[in-house]
Amino acid sequence: MAGSIKAPSPPRWLLAELTYACPLQCPYCSNPLDYANIKDELSTNDWKRVLKQSRDMGAVQLGFSGGEPLVRKDLVELVDYSHGLGYYTNLITSGYNMDKEKIIALKNAGLDHIQISLQASSKELNDFIAGAESFEHKKHVAKLIKKNGYPMVLCVVLHRQNIHQMKEILEMAIELGADFVELANTQYYGWAQHNRDQLLPTHEQLQTAEAIANQYQASQKGKMKIYYVVPDYFEGRPKACMNGWGTTFLTIAPDGLALPCHSARQLPNFDCPNVNEHSISDIWNDSTAFNYFRGDRWMKEPCRSCPEKDKDFGGCHCQAFLLTGDASNADPVCDLSPLHHTVTDAIEQAGQVSQTVEQPLLFRNPKNSKQLKKSP
Amino acid sequence: MSLQTDQAIKLSSGYRLQWEDAQQMFVLLYPEGLIELNQSSAEILQLCDAQHKLADIVQTLETKFSTTGLKNDIVSFLTIALDNGWINQSA
Ligand code: SF4
Ligand code: SF4
Repeated sequence: MAGSIKAPSPPRWLLAELTYACPLQCPYCSNPLDYANIKDELSTNDWKRVLKQSRDMGAVQLGFSGGEPLVRKDLVELVDYSHGLGYYTNLITSGYNMDKEKIIALKNAGLDHIQISLQASSKELNDFIAGAESFEHKKHVAKLIKKNGYPMVLCVVLHRQNIHQMKEILEMAIELGADFVELANTQYYGWAQHNRDQLLPTHEQLQTAEAIANQYQASQKGKMKIYYVVPDYFEGRPKACMNGWGTTFLTIAPDGLALPCHSARQLPNFDCPNVNEHSISDIWNDSTAFNYFRGDRWMKEPCRSCPEKDKDFGGCHCQAFLLTGDASNADPVCDLSPLHHTVTDAIEQAGQVSQTVEQPLLFRNPKNSKQLKKSP
Repeated sequence: MSLQTDQAIKLSSGYRLQWEDAQQMFVLLYPEGLIELNQSSAEILQLCDAQHKLADIVQTLETKFSTTGLKNDIVSFLTIALDNGWINQSA
């Protein structure tokens, strides 16, 4: 970039989305709506090259995710290779199809940690949201994870349909021996954005849930760490985008697309570079995509002259695009944004939907993905 | 939970202290987390090896840097580390 002499800080986190394939169908999945049309997957050797080049640049936290990373036959081999490179390796899984043999094989390969997600605290709701019978098996897997000496993060994505189970979810986490609990309110991208009217909780639901989370945070102090991620729609200020665009996080999609944030591929006319054509250092340092929102030169008002711009970097650009049609606008979650009403309207609309007929959720599966692609 | 003087200190399970060549610094790694450490924090955490107690850590570092009076700083860092669950003292 002309005029900039300071090289960007190196990537510290690599998120390896190994595959979009997943046996579950969560309607809040952050994968792209048209994932079923993205068929090319990187080979084992491609991934090794990506892992090595990223590690050389400074990446040290590594998440294997997807889709469901367990679907990849070379997962153990990739964990083994990454461990050898000195990564801290995290597996982000639904637990579906996990068994004792695999847990042990991954442990021997050097896997440091497993994050398992459940959809709810009751079998009925869990299986409904996941779109597959999986509750008892997931709980069994969670116990196996602990039994085999892994630290375990239990992740539950929260939304209108399960947020009333907050207390039961936390009790379940205690019962399963989780070391960390991540209670993440749905972020509205991908499938979640499509299903927003059915997923967005009400203000009252959130207040109740947050109070319960706070109460357990206090009582579990020193035993189980509880992260409660507040939904930005209700906040008045956006979340800092990825710790700053192109400063810390690097996501590689199953087909090799390098993304500054996991939803970046939905930005139109935004050419994300592919690892099949470029090295990681070229991508990180020189690509247009990674430089695009670095610093504040891209900003418009109200962000440009805002004293808080170093705190949230203008918020999430993907959200700005989804809600305002322009990724360079302030994230409309911010109440200083002239388009903040796009968020308050959505909350109101979801509130009305919740009181009238429930529209059906659109589940994430190949059939729905292909159909969405066809309809305008 | 407060810092005990009569128990050795160790990194919590799942936590790893590691030198990063690319960044020329020590980092503390744990599930989905990464803390970049300044030199003094790194010096202290390297001694949290299930062998050293508080007084041993103070003495080792005072000797290493030929200085005295490090105790307060070390205690306050270790208290934060304990509160955050990076280290523990139970057997
Ligand atoms: S969110 Fe659900 S559907 Fe999406 S990848 Fe994860 S488990 Fe699969
Ligand atoms: S105006 Fe922009 S920079 Fe300021 S708080 Fe809102 S989103 Fe952040």
